[in-house]
Amino acid sequence: MNRTGITRLVARREITERLQGRLIRIMTLVTVLVVVGAITVPGLIKGSSTPTRVGLVGTEAQALASTVERTAIAAKARMTLSNVPTETAAREQVTSGQLDAALSVGPSTARVDVKHSLDPTIRAVLQASVDSAHLRQSLAQSGIPVDKVLPALTPVPLQAVALKPPPPDQTARAVAAIAAALLMYVSLALYGTAVANGVAQEKTSRTAEVLLAAVRPSQLLSGKVLGIGLTGLGQLAIAAGAGVIANALVHSTRIPGSVWVLLPAFLACFLAGFTLYAFAYAAAGALVSRQEEVQFVTLPMGLFLLVGYLLVYAVIAHPDATWVKMVSFLPPLMATLLPARIALGHVAPWEIPLDVVIMGLSIWGMIRIASRVYANALIYSGARLGWKQALRLTDQKPQVTESSRSAAA
Amino acid sequence: MTAELEILDLRHRFGELVALDGVSFGVGAGEIVGLVGRNGAGKTTTMRAVMGIVHPDRGAVKWSGHPIGDDDRLGFGYMPEERGLYPQMRLLDQVAYFARLHGFDAAAANGAARTWLERLGLGERMSDKLVALSHGNQQRVQLAVALVHGPELLVLDEPFAGLDPEAVDSLSHVLFERAQAGAAVLFSSHQLELVERICRRVVIAESGRVLADGTLAELRRRLPAQLRVKVDAPPAWARPLKGVRIESAGEDGVLLVVDPGTDPQVILRAAQAAGPVEHFGFETAGLVDLYREMVSR
Repeated sequence: MNRTGITRLVARREITERLQGRLIRIMTLVTVLVVVGAITVPGLIKGSSTPTRVGLVGTEAQALASTVERTAIAAKARMTLSNVPTETAAREQVTSGQLDAALSVGPSTARVDVKHSLDPTIRAVLQASVDSAHLRQSLAQSGIPVDKVLPALTPVPLQAVALKPPPPDQTARAVAAIAAALLMYVSLALYGTAVANGVAQEKTSRTAEVLLAAVRPSQLLSGKVLGIGLTGLGQLAIAAGAGVIANALVHSTRIPGSVWVLLPAFLACFLAGFTLYAFAYAAAGALVSRQEEVQFVTLPMGLFLLVGYLLVYAVIAHPDATWVKMVSFLPPLMATLLPARIALGHVAPWEIPLDVVIMGLSIWGMIRIASRVYANALIYSGARLGWKQALRLTDQKPQVTESSRSAAA
Repeated sequence: MTAELEILDLRHRFGELVALDGVSFGVGAGEIVGLVGRNGAGKTTTMRAVMGIVHPDRGAVKWSGHPIGDDDRLGFGYMPEERGLYPQMRLLDQVAYFARLHGFDAAAANGAARTWLERLGLGERMSDKLVALSHGNQQRVQLAVALVHGPELLVLDEPFAGLDPEAVDSLSHVLFERAQAGAAVLFSSHQLELVERICRRVVIAESGRVLADGTLAELRRRLPAQLRVKVDAPPAWARPLKGVRIESAGEDGVLLVVDPGTDPQVILRAAQAAGPVEHFGFETAGLVDLYREMVSR
């Protein structure tokens, strides 16, 4: 079998083992539920905000119907109006929930009956309508021609002109930036830890030595990273698919077209970030002497990812700051910051090739270092190693310790 | 016999520790060679060097006359001293996976895995996870992994450790069978009686060097002969004899250590002169005796 065939075989075993485990099913289900919940719950809440049903009690109030409708349209308030003959009937309908509010108007009084409280917008609409009617009535009673006075009472509209208007979908972009960074942080930490655990398990269970009799360390390492990476990608695809379907069903958010266009960029960022971190996690996993030490050796990677995620909030607040650009060129932070900056639309065209070169070189360097650490540390049977120590162990030459003496036997 | 596996002057250090100091020996096709020695003698490092897991500082390991490459190693079976397989993987999947890593296609790997698991008494447990098995049965699975691809060379580090007598017999039978089929077999063990029973050739290692390498008969020839003589007389009769030393004396007579070249007939005549001879015969040294003698030199 050729080298890629063995790598594929190792990757397939990783995928099969993970798919057979209960943990991945539970985690996929939880992820799908979180994504679907995050989309549908606001959608359902929004969907339940049906127009406010207002009853107009008696002829005086019913005469205000057209004024109320115009005011509501101006205030962007959704209202449906209906006529109610008496106050008693109106109160019954409000109490039973058939109406949200009932407006009664007297010669110099106005009253709104509601079950619990009155929405401030609806209050403002009704108040303005009643005021307008009252003004017209007072002017008419005083013999002043309404048509002549009204223009003077009409407020002059104040126009606000933004000198640097935000993009029309700025909120959606900020949400997409946080979502992209969060997804990157969670998935890289999660699948990276899975890689480290897998390597540590093979090392501590001594399976590695049996494997290395038939497989090169590089094949084993790349197969493991590939298998766990594809599993993670599949899991994300399921969650994303469920999210898209849920969004289509409840029409929660209008996903901006720009986000769809940027999807390939997000995918490229995930693949590059995963490759960089997965090899680092794999090397860290090979350093341990006991499975429990995985949490400790993977701490630096987790911290880099966390810092990268937290910085996204600073990036959203100061997207054009020089320090933001500088920081996003640092490879460990690029994995989370770049997708967020792409989502915000603040990545200049000249930055892209530079990002690609920096990330490419970083991945190349990481693969070289991680492969050496991995190959050296995998069959070392002594205490937990440090990165430098493992790099110096060329050709499985452990430092001379009591434990390595027995390993040499 | 021309050795299929040639280990040539292997030298390797772990920092200050000399693990291998010029190890050389060979294993022929169809031959079972036992590698014995105390802890730290270099047995595991030698085997790891054969399997390409340790790269020695100097020396070479050859197979069929050429340096061992990756493709050669796919035809080798290996059982390391520290056993290790995937605890959560089912037996059939596990053994078939290793067969595939050694180049089998899926159908052949499954067939071979079934055959070996049944052969090693695990036919009923193929769908069990490894972790559910007893230590002895896990050892059998490890053996199945080493054998599943029909290796031309078997390298087994302490394969008998922890096995019950029935499993020891079963494994011995498998080793004989593989050797008869033409495979070269190299295994290490501290159970010298077993090595004596199974191997035609033995390599004794000590401090990273080979102290002795040969068949039991050849090794015995390198030691002074031991002669037991029971005469109805005090053991003093043997003292004047040249090239003869009294090792011990008791109810079974005297045990004499006889230098090479000494004529046994001279000893017999001296014994007969001392009194009636009830027993006169050379003692066959076992591997335990040979090992102790060689290591103590």
